Amino acid sequence: MAEAIGTLSVSVVTPEETVVQTTVDSLVVPLFDGEIGILRGHAPMIGRLGFGEMRLTAQGVTTRYYVDGGFVQVADNVVSVLTGRAAPLDKLDAEAARTQLEGSLKQLATGDDAIALRDRLVSQARAQLSLVRKL
Amino acid sequence: MANPRLLDKRRKSVKNIRKITRTMELIATARFKKAMDRASAATAYTNRITQLVADLMQTGLEVSHPLLAKRDNEQNATLLVLTANRGLCGGFNGNVIRAGARQWDALEASVPNCRLEVSGKRGISGMSYRGIAVAEGFTQFEDKPRFDEVEAIATRYLNEFAAGKLDRLDVVYTRFLNAARQQVVVETLLPLGSLGDVEKADSASANTPYEFLPSPESILEEVVPTSFKVKLFKCFLDTAVSEQIARRVAMKGATENADDLIKSLSMQYNRARQGRITNELMDLIGGVNALS
Repeated sequence: MAEAIGTLSVSVVTPEETVVQTTVDSLVVPLFDGEIGILRGHAPMIGRLGFGEMRLTAQGVTTRYYVDGGFVQVADNVVSVLTGRAAPLDKLDAEAARTQLEGSLKQLATGDDAIALRDRLVSQARAQLSLVRKL
Repeated sequence: MANPRLLDKRRKSVKNIRKITRTMELIATARFKKAMDRASAATAYTNRITQLVADLMQTGLEVSHPLLAKRDNEQNATLLVLTANRGLCGGFNGNVIRAGARQWDALEASVPNCRLEVSGKRGISGMSYRGIAVAEGFTQFEDKPRFDEVEAIATRYLNEFAAGKLDRLDVVYTRFLNAARQQVVVETLLPLGSLGDVEKADSASANTPYEFLPSPESILEEVVPTSFKVKLFKCFLDTAVSEQIARRVAMKGATENADDLIKSLSMQYNRARQGRITNELMDLIGGVNALS
C-alpha cells in the first residue's frame, strides 16, 4: 500500500545541523494543540510545533524523534521541520527534564510573560518525561 | 666573529618553533572546516526561516511585534562583545576589542544605564585592561558554540527586553564574509528592526496559498523570537569561524617567517664555519712557513 500512497521528502533542520534529510511514506509531528499526520499530497501548510514526538515512517519502519517547538512547512510534497532541537528518543535526558519540571513548578510567576514562560518550560519538560516513560 | 655553535643552536630553536606554528596552522585549518560546516547548517536554517516569513507576508499580514519596534526612550543598553578564548590569531581579538571599546564609549554617551558582556577570555582581560567593567563574561564558547548555550543567553535577553529592563542590545563581532575577508561589525540585535530582506524572497513558491495552524499572527509571534535567537547564534558561529581563519593566517605567516629565518641563519652558520676552517688553514700554513 505504501507504494500506492507515494513518498514525500522531509528535512528536519536545527540551527546546528540538518538532523534528517530523507524520504518517507508518512510523518507525524506534534503541533501546538495535538499531533498532525502528513501524507503525500497534503495541502500547503505552515504550522506551529509543540513539544513532543515526531514519527517518520518509511517502508514500515518508524523512527521517532523528540522535537522542541518550532515550525513545520508543507509545500509540494516537501516537508521542512524547523526546530530548536531534534533528538532521537533514547538521547533524551530524563534527569534534566525532571529537574526543569520541578524547578519551574516551584518558581513563582507574576505577570503574563512570566506565566507564559513557566508554562512553556513545564510543558517542555512534561513532553520529554512522557516520551522517556514510553520507551 | 660569530660562533658557529651558537648559530646552530639558534637555528635549532627556530626549527622547533616552525614545527609548532606549522602544526597550529594545520589544526586551525581543520577546525575552520568544521566550524564552516556548522555555519552553513545554520545558514540553511536561516534561509528557511526567511522563506517562512516571506510566505507569511503573502497573507498581507501587518508586521508588528514588540521586538521589532524601536523604543524612543532608551534607558538600558547592553553591549555584547564576542572574542576568542585564545590568542595567537593575529589582530582578531585586538580589532574586536577596539571596536567594542569605541562602541561602548558611544553607547555610554547616549544611554544612561549600560552593561557590558564579553565572550572570550581575551576580550574579558582586554576590556578590564582598558578600565571598562565587564558585567558578565562567558568563556564556555570554544570553536563549536552550541545552540542551547546561546539560546539560554538569548532567552535571558528576550525576557529582559520584554520586562523593560533592556531597551537595546548591540553585538560587536567579526562577520565572516568569505575565506579571505572578515569584518568587525557592530549590529543592533534588539530591537530587531526587520526580519531580513523579505522583499527579495519573492520566489515562485511564494504564491502558494498556505493554511496556517493556528493563525498567521500566532506564527509570527513565534517566528520573531526564533529569528533573534538564530541571529545571535550566527554571530557566535561567525566569530568561531573567523577566529580559526585568523589563526590560520597568523600561523602561516609565522611559519613563513621561520623559514626565512632558518635560511638566513643557515647561511650565517655556513659562512662562520667556513671562516673558521679558513682561519685554521691559514694558521697551519703560517706554521709550516715559519718552520721551513
